[in-house]
Amino acid sequence: MASLDDPGEVREGFLCPLCLKDLQSFYHLQSHYEEEHSGEDGDVKGQIKSAVRSHLSDFKKHRAARIDHYVVEVNKLIIRLEKLTAFDRTNTESAKIRAIEKSVVPWVNDQDVPFCPDCGNKFSIRNRRHHCRLCGSIMCKKCMELISLPLANKLTSASKDSLSPHTSPSQSPNSVHGSRRASISSVSSVSSVLDEKDDDRIRCCTHCKDTLLKREQQIDEKEHTPDIVKLYEKLRLCMEKVDQKAPEYIRMAASLNAGETTYSLEHASDLRVEVQKVYELIDALSKKILTLDLKQDPPPHPNTLRLQRMIRYSATLFVQEKLLGLMSLPTKEQFEELKEKRKQEVERKKILERRATLESQQRLEERRSDLVSHATNGEVVSLRGGPAPLRKAEGWLPLSGGQGQIEDSDPLLQQIHNITSFIRQAKAAGRMDEVRTLQENLRQLQDEYDQQQTEKAIELSRRQAEEEDLQREQLQMLREREREREREQFQAASLHMRTRSLDFREIRPFQLEPGREPRNHLAHALDLGCSPAPSSAAPKTPSPSLALEPIRVWSGPPALGQEFFPQSTTSQHNEVPSLNPFDEEDLSSPAAEGTASPPAAEPSLGPPACVLKEYNPFEEEEEEEAVAGNPFTSPDSPAPSPFDEEDGHPHQRPSGPPVPGNPFEEAPCTNPFEVDSESGQEGEEPIEEELLLQQIDNIKAYIFDAKQCGRLDEVEVLTENLRELKHTLAKQKGGAD
Amino acid sequence: MNVVFAVKQYISKMIEDSGPGMKVLLMDKETTGIVSMVYTQSEILQKEVYLFERIDSQNREIMKHLKAICFLRPTKENVNYLIQELRRPKYSIYFIYFSNVISKSDVKSLAEADEQEVVAEVQEFYGDYIAVNPHLFSLNILGCCQGRNWDPVQLSRATQGLTALLLSLKKCPMIRYQLSSEAAKRLAECVKQVITKEYELFEFRRTEVPPLLLILDRCDDAITPLLNQWTYQAMVHELLGINNNRIDLSRVPGISKDLREVVLSAENDEFYANNMYLNFAEIGSNIKNLMEDFQKKKPKEQQKLESIADMKAFVENYPQFKKMSGTVSKHVTVVGELSRLVSERNLLEVSEVEQELACQNDHSSALQNVKRLLQSPKVTEFDAARLVMLYALHYERHSSNSLPGLMMDLRNKGVSEKYRKLVSTVVEYGGKRVRGSDLFSPKDAVAITKQFLKGLKGVENVYTQHQPFLHETLDHLIKGKLKENLYPYLGPSTLRDRPQDIIVFIIGGATYEEALTVYNLNRTTPGVRIVLGGTTVHNTKSQECGVLGFSGGAVVKNPPANAGDTGSSPGPGRSHMLRNS
Repeated sequence: MASLDDPGEVREGFLCPLCLKDLQSFYHLQSHYEEEHSGEDGDVKGQIKSAVRSHLSDFKKHRAARIDHYVVEVNKLIIRLEKLTAFDRTNTESAKIRAIEKSVVPWVNDQDVPFCPDCGNKFSIRNRRHHCRLCGSIMCKKCMELISLPLANKLTSASKDSLSPHTSPSQSPNSVHGSRRASISSVSSVSSVLDEKDDDRIRCCTHCKDTLLKREQQIDEKEHTPDIVKLYEKLRLCMEKVDQKAPEYIRMAASLNAGETTYSLEHASDLRVEVQKVYELIDALSKKILTLDLKQDPPPHPNTLRLQRMIRYSATLFVQEKLLGLMSLPTKEQFEELKEKRKQEVERKKILERRATLESQQRLEERRSDLVSHATNGEVVSLRGGPAPLRKAEGWLPLSGGQGQIEDSDPLLQQIHNITSFIRQAKAAGRMDEVRTLQENLRQLQDEYDQQQTEKAIELSRRQAEEEDLQREQLQMLREREREREREQFQAASLHMRTRSLDFREIRPFQLEPGREPRNHLAHALDLGCSPAPSSAAPKTPSPSLALEPIRVWSGPPALGQEFFPQSTTSQHNEVPSLNPFDEEDLSSPAAEGTASPPAAEPSLGPPACVLKEYNPFEEEEEEEAVAGNPFTSPDSPAPSPFDEEDGHPHQRPSGPPVPGNPFEEAPCTNPFEVDSESGQEGEEPIEEELLLQQIDNIKAYIFDAKQCGRLDEVEVLTENLRELKHTLAKQKGGAD
Repeated sequence: MNVVFAVKQYISKMIEDSGPGMKVLLMDKETTGIVSMVYTQSEILQKEVYLFERIDSQNREIMKHLKAICFLRPTKENVNYLIQELRRPKYSIYFIYFSNVISKSDVKSLAEADEQEVVAEVQEFYGDYIAVNPHLFSLNILGCCQGRNWDPVQLSRATQGLTALLLSLKKCPMIRYQLSSEAAKRLAECVKQVITKEYELFEFRRTEVPPLLLILDRCDDAITPLLNQWTYQAMVHELLGINNNRIDLSRVPGISKDLREVVLSAENDEFYANNMYLNFAEIGSNIKNLMEDFQKKKPKEQQKLESIADMKAFVENYPQFKKMSGTVSKHVTVVGELSRLVSERNLLEVSEVEQELACQNDHSSALQNVKRLLQSPKVTEFDAARLVMLYALHYERHSSNSLPGLMMDLRNKGVSEKYRKLVSTVVEYGGKRVRGSDLFSPKDAVAITKQFLKGLKGVENVYTQHQPFLHETLDHLIKGKLKENLYPYLGPSTLRDRPQDIIVFIIGGATYEEALTVYNLNRTTPGVRIVLGGTTVHNTKSQECGVLGFSGGAVVKNPPANAGDTGSSPGPGRSHMLRNS
């Protein structure tokens, strides 16, 4: 089962292109597609991609041209900035600084600019000209901007980092800058006041400053990850985990609830606990996001709050949706029961299959007896002899409901009928996976039945041919008498077969088609199995319609089996070289049986049962859940969040206690029954204890949910139920203690 | 040919393509409507879209940790907003989708604004129309014409909407239009022009029978929007008003807080999906069944859960129960309100006379009935005016036409000037002079016989006798019998086979009655798929705008019928709209 989910698995068959279900046949696939996907327009996914047109390449082309220009601009400024800061400004004279500055970028001539280009004021003695050290242009003092050295360093070092990402991790440029900055700050405090020397800042125009500030912003954004993002990433991780684990759990629970033993109960409940932990984490994280920065002084922008609320809301939706889908596990006792049922079911199926095999065997035996049994297939018979006693133990007649009145002429039809009734039963019992398996069987059976006519004919023709050969070669006087007797019985049938066989001889090759072999085998086994019956009545067509016949066939096998034992031994004694092509198939038939029914899994039925006896984590989980559920039952827990009044969304109301960390920590004291449920965990419990706890747990979840949606009447009803349940629990506990 | 699916697919693709992480959806006024019709909030939240912003909203915060998905109409305004946005980006990365063809020069100016390289995608996704039902779309254009001609702005919007629809459905159709309407011809030409110009876009895999676009004009059938409707969706629309799947119930007396506004979406509401096309009586019994079903499931105090098995069954059914209770209370409220309005406004009687006016030719009995109803105090002034309008349209040229007398009655009833004026406007809009085809008297023998038989048998349901004119038109079209002299092809080529994929567009707005007709045709005619669209689907909002357009002068913008309610009538009376629907 698990192998189906292997990521790298290659699947083949008639897969639905949309849901990847294997539909077994073209027709099933077609009808499935019409039923399930007809609403999704008539095409397959790949073909319905709507028309679109991308302008991205065009856009990029235009942008690239623009960006080049912009980048050059920025880089120029940064290179100049670096030059301006590359020497020790504090310990250099003003004049020298000025000289260096002028060498970086040529200054515009004072005479050329009579007015400040930015504000338009006339320059004079009082309104002096200032030069931008980055581009050399002129502005007045008012329009002048300053770049502090730390900012300059940040800009230059960042671009160095980005320009030379290959530099060694020691980050030499950085460390140089760092040390320089330190020395500057220590000395500058003294000297900066003395004159206009600008030892810790660089003059520039507003345009250059703007460009640089934009650049700084970019750098900042690259480095900074806000808290909400970190929390959100964690939240998404948790959700992914749930998406991955929950289906696994649901599959397990479904399987366990059906009484299968593919998974262990313990493992499943571990997984359940795990998933529930993740839910708690999601709840806690989303709550944390909701209250993020709420206390800050300038309150966050309404949009930030909206974002936080929406994240919380969607997390709540997520939990609600998935948590409710998390079905409960059966208790140990229930599980045992389920297993028992399942076992019977499997038995029943096995018997069906066994019967099929037996029928083929019976047919074989009869033929053999007819032919004086020359084959050395004694061991085959003994292999098949095994099942017979089992069958005695569990008659399957009562299991199949409609058995008595079955009127179908053909065993296959009968099986189809039986399985249909099983499906009905399973459906009534709500065990969908069984229904699925059964339907699978049914489909196969139907397919087989469809093939039956052809197969039968082919088979008969082949057998007939062999019979004739063998009869001729292997007449043995010793067996003559016996054969005579048998002959009488079967003559009618074989005569009839002979007439038929000729017509179908050409079709024989199909029989050997390897892919069909196993199925064919079963089919023809069944087919031939029914042939003796007609013989007793009258020559009939291969699919006779005798009402009584099936019953006779079923009661037949054990008797026949016994009867055949001596026969087969004799045949062994005779050690006639086998010309019987059926030998091979006979040998394979038990194998086929093995693969078709799951008896191989049966040995494993034992161990899990033992394990379950001492199994305990499950109870712990229940206990935990009971605790966890509590906050939900206390309707008037203190107002959980300041959001209550603010948001109009009923769903958003934070439901848990105010403690932001673990919502499930606070509550234990609120529930008077808590003690009961805890103390109840030890020792032998009455059967329904776990179930009760589980129900309590579920109801709590529903109450929680109902409250969130503001349906108070439901809450009442639910609370009532909860109380009752707890009462029962307490009573039970009282009785047990 | 499912328009809801087509638009939804576009939106889903946008969201998918932007990858994981918190997202904001940046839209304009129109695209907000487009998206909200196909996605519910919780659905879109699950895809990590947490914020919805308008591109023109000034109060947006810088949130660099969000990815922005921009879904915008390619208008000049939007491009300018976007340019400003890109100059000072508020989000970390932008995925830009235009709902229609955008010019190369606009792309260029956007590219030049993107100095910080925040744009990761620029595409055209042709979801440029409102998908109402799988087979019904609207452009939400109110007042599309000035007189008999197009308002140029609206003409270009209609062209864009129609071409986007064609693209999203991947259809490159042949075009037919209603000859009697100049507007239809103009639109047909414009659509053709776009198809020619953007021929690369319209290169789809050829189908055996090419799809067909049929452009009609509302003025050919002004009757249909004037009738009261009795199917669920149409009634809700008409009496309560549906706006982008939302219904405002706040005026319902004694409404509880959480039912003030409900969402009716066939996508998410099974009951609605199953019942939207059923008539009122059927809905009544279905609601009753729903209730009974619900009552059975509802845990009652007296129904003690005695055994653990009971308990377990209860708990297992609970989620369904919960979902059901929401549905039940919603529909019970809506249907309850509808039936209250029906009885308050005497709508059954009104509707009966309306149907008589629309479908039968007995002048004297019709006149008598109208006169009688005009005396009834229960009939609202708008309903009264509507009856007179129907009378005026039907018996416009009748020898003993007594419209002046009815107008007098209206005045005496105290019907305001505004409504009385509508009568003449409606005749001007959809009167005989204008109509290309005869609405009232069946021409061919079959139809006459049919009507005769109908008369003999008595009518099955007096409230639903009327078949919109569209039914006949489509029926002829499907059978290949639609006359080419009335509905010519644009261009030289004509369709030899019977059409299979049909897109019908009604200038002046479609109605829900017509949507129902199309729905039924789709269901009953194998191999034929029809999508219906209109400049609008008449609803409360269109009616208000209609009033505006109307009061602006003699310009008839919508079927004036929509101009019904000005909100002057208090309380539930607002629902006077016209057929809204």
